[in-house]
Amino acid sequence: MSGKPGYHGRILEIDLSSGKSRTVAIAPEDLDKFVGGQGLGMKLLWDRLKKPGIDALSPENPLMFIPGPFSGLPVPSSSRTCVVTKSPITAPLTSEHRHASTVTYSNMGGFFGPEIRFAGYDGLVVIGKARELSYIVIDDDKVSIRDARKFKGMRTDAFDRAFLEELGDRKYKTVYIGPAGENLIPYSSIIHTAGRAAGRGGSGCVMGSKNLKAIAVKGSGQPGVADHERFLTALEKARRALYGTTYAKSWAEQGTARAIVGNSNAGTESVRNYREGTFTEADKIGGDAARRDVWVRDFACYCCPLACKKSGVTKGKYGGVVHDGPEYETGVMLGSNLMISDMPGLLRAIYNIDDLGLDQISTGNVIGFLMEAYEKGMIDRKFLDGIDLKWGSVDATLAMIEKIAAKDGVGALAAQGVANLSRHIGQGSEKFAIHVKGLELAAHNIQGNQPRALSYVTASRGACHMSGNNIAMQNRRAMLDSTGMCFFPTFEPALEEPMLELLSAITGHEYHQAEFEKAGERIFNLEKMFNYREGFRRGDDKLPDRFFEDAFTIGAKKGAVLDRKKFEDMLTTYYRDRGWDTVTTKPGEAKLKELGLENI
Amino acid sequence: MTKENGGTFTRREFLKGVGVGGGALVLFGQFGIHSAAWALSGEATLKMVVVDYKKCTGCRTCETACSSRNKPAAVGGKELPGLGNPYFANIKVHNFNPDVDVPNVCAMCADTPCAKACPVEPDGKTGRRAFYRDDASHTMHNDASRCIGCGSCAKACASQRTGVIRPNPETGKPERMCTLCGGDPQCVKRCPFGALSYVEVRRDRKFYGLGPEKIAAELARNWYGTAEFGGVK
Ligand code: SF4
Ligand code: SF4
Ligand code: SF4
Ligand code: SF4
Repeated sequence: MSGKPGYHGRILEIDLSSGKSRTVAIAPEDLDKFVGGQGLGMKLLWDRLKKPGIDALSPENPLMFIPGPFSGLPVPSSSRTCVVTKSPITAPLTSEHRHASTVTYSNMGGFFGPEIRFAGYDGLVVIGKARELSYIVIDDDKVSIRDARKFKGMRTDAFDRAFLEELGDRKYKTVYIGPAGENLIPYSSIIHTAGRAAGRGGSGCVMGSKNLKAIAVKGSGQPGVADHERFLTALEKARRALYGTTYAKSWAEQGTARAIVGNSNAGTESVRNYREGTFTEADKIGGDAARRDVWVRDFACYCCPLACKKSGVTKGKYGGVVHDGPEYETGVMLGSNLMISDMPGLLRAIYNIDDLGLDQISTGNVIGFLMEAYEKGMIDRKFLDGIDLKWGSVDATLAMIEKIAAKDGVGALAAQGVANLSRHIGQGSEKFAIHVKGLELAAHNIQGNQPRALSYVTASRGACHMSGNNIAMQNRRAMLDSTGMCFFPTFEPALEEPMLELLSAITGHEYHQAEFEKAGERIFNLEKMFNYREGFRRGDDKLPDRFFEDAFTIGAKKGAVLDRKKFEDMLTTYYRDRGWDTVTTKPGEAKLKELGLENI
Repeated sequence: MTKENGGTFTRREFLKGVGVGGGALVLFGQFGIHSAAWALSGEATLKMVVVDYKKCTGCRTCETACSSRNKPAAVGGKELPGLGNPYFANIKVHNFNPDVDVPNVCAMCADTPCAKACPVEPDGKTGRRAFYRDDASHTMHNDASRCIGCGSCAKACASQRTGVIRPNPETGKPERMCTLCGGDPQCVKRCPFGALSYVEVRRDRKFYGLGPEKIAAELARNWYGTAEFGGVK
């Protein structure tokens, strides 16, 4: 134990090759500097992968589940777990290292992170590779690795139930992969509670490469706090900032789905493979329609007063139970982006993607690309194994989803992601292969939104819509995702002061605004150092040509298109303000020194 | 829709999914409606924790509020009220797939099958077995000094009522009896969604206890048209 308040001071390391596990102390200095979650995960990755070019799918690549200092305490919305590993998806334009790729992190809500802390750890680190498909069970200090062969190929919804039945104790919190992860589809997700996911960036693929089907954890312990009285006072303030507010109620009412119509009206939605920013039929798949026709209940993650998760049921040909959605990302990527406006069909696609353990965003993006290539005659029906992949076709979309997860026929190509797919198809299709560094863009379109374009190109894991539209936002979010708190409640300004108070009371480290952002900046810079070491340069911070050439033809932002010169100027300013070299993007000595990263 | 006499809930709301004590009562009318919030005035009543399943989001804040007060964590030998692992709470939120969350808490059953199952001879003076009800608060208690840790109370509760109490894995003595927090229920106070209430209910009739699995199945049938849960039929 480090004796550092607010932390256990140790992680649990499980080596699937040897079948052994051990606890490893974390240096108190690392906890002060990198906090937890995304930040601590990045530091652990940096320490463990000492050289560039290590294959993300090799046993050496650690797969890490890192909660934060809020996790395991009754802090509002302290539900998040950050999954950190080396990306199996991204790649630089050129690099001397064969398997060069970025860091990747994926932040998941639910109940898993708090349970890790109840079990007595500040994080789980899985290394090695099991000989056969296996699962890990963690019950406080007891760790066992068990045979999972009988679950091979099982879809996540069925597995969610079967696994708890096998464990015989519903107190276990579980994460698992589906057939996609087992089949090493690069953009596989890790699923939790059947409807929550660590979706982006391929963490499910890394899990599959370790022959790891699932992890179950339960614990009877409790992390402490540095200043008990201060913690309790700040906790009351944090609750008051959110409980029963109009802000919280609006999340319970529609979750992120509200933006499906909102962003379409604003001309910032991904529509028709990013060709347009407005979907004329958005209202059919938006929050109002879902509230009216689909949703029956609202659900919350651990200690969260927002309840943005929805569940419901649909009828008809595509009918069935809906675990979640439409959310903004899922509803747009499988809806607007594919011109699908049939609500039950959309929800069937979303359900199947989670069930197979694929990333919703990359899957929707890849299918949108194929639809466009098909429409343009670059590929024919034979290429698509007979699937008539027309805009708006639910059946064709469902068929493609199955093929991708099974790597069957055209699915094996599509599984490689939009960058590789367009390279295979050629004929200028790269122009509308919508990715950055190999990771597909998300549901926010950018012809009329240059700041969001900055988020996509400069984010550490490839095209990430969450990273932030400017330096301050990027730093702040890197830090937020290191605390274990969800970022949705933090848009409420009244939460800011109690949130910082709580963090200080828990850790005994004073996090005023400037210190909070500085920690985020440090984390973001370490990610950059990792990516730079792998060989990523300015040329990799690049958008597909579509965004500079195809102006929107409809909607509020009709005529909008990005300007190359303005875009490059923005980037130059960005690197300079970051203290990075404007040609290579290498973080400068002065900046590293300022952040305490000079000797790392 | 008129508010029923003396209660928080309308009859219709109640029918849609309000249960007493984690479902010791009633769902959708078919189990009979006995001691709900519309107690006739003037009758003997008691106050207890009532759950509105339709409002519950499964956030487990109630668990943390309960353990924070009733079983606070001790860090370095020092008890820290306000901190507690939700596992040790007297209210337990059972979650299912498809999504149904059922907070389960002692229903303070009028006929206390749990206490009746206790094999320890009643005390000459108080008439109490090792598991007994406090007549003032109606909360259930364990006399640890006389308890032999046989688990009969928990077994009776599980087979006949909510199943909320359980034997301590080491001592076998029952845990998770709701204390009503001395009249200031923390779970009710902290629930962000108003799914819990501390209201007067009548207890002139026998409670028909339902465990969380049965309640979940009923709710799932109602909401999703299915009652297929993992390990729960
Ligand atoms: S705090 Fe309220 S909403 Fe949350 S689980 Fe408990 S009863 Fe349900
Ligand atoms: S049977 Fe169970 S629910 Fe009923 S009073 Fe006894 S302990 Fe409480
Ligand atoms: S466990 Fe104790 S209180 Fe419960 S029935 Fe046995 S002796 Fe009585
Ligand atoms: S009333 Fe108090 S003891 Fe009973 S469940 Fe609620 S918080 Fe726990």
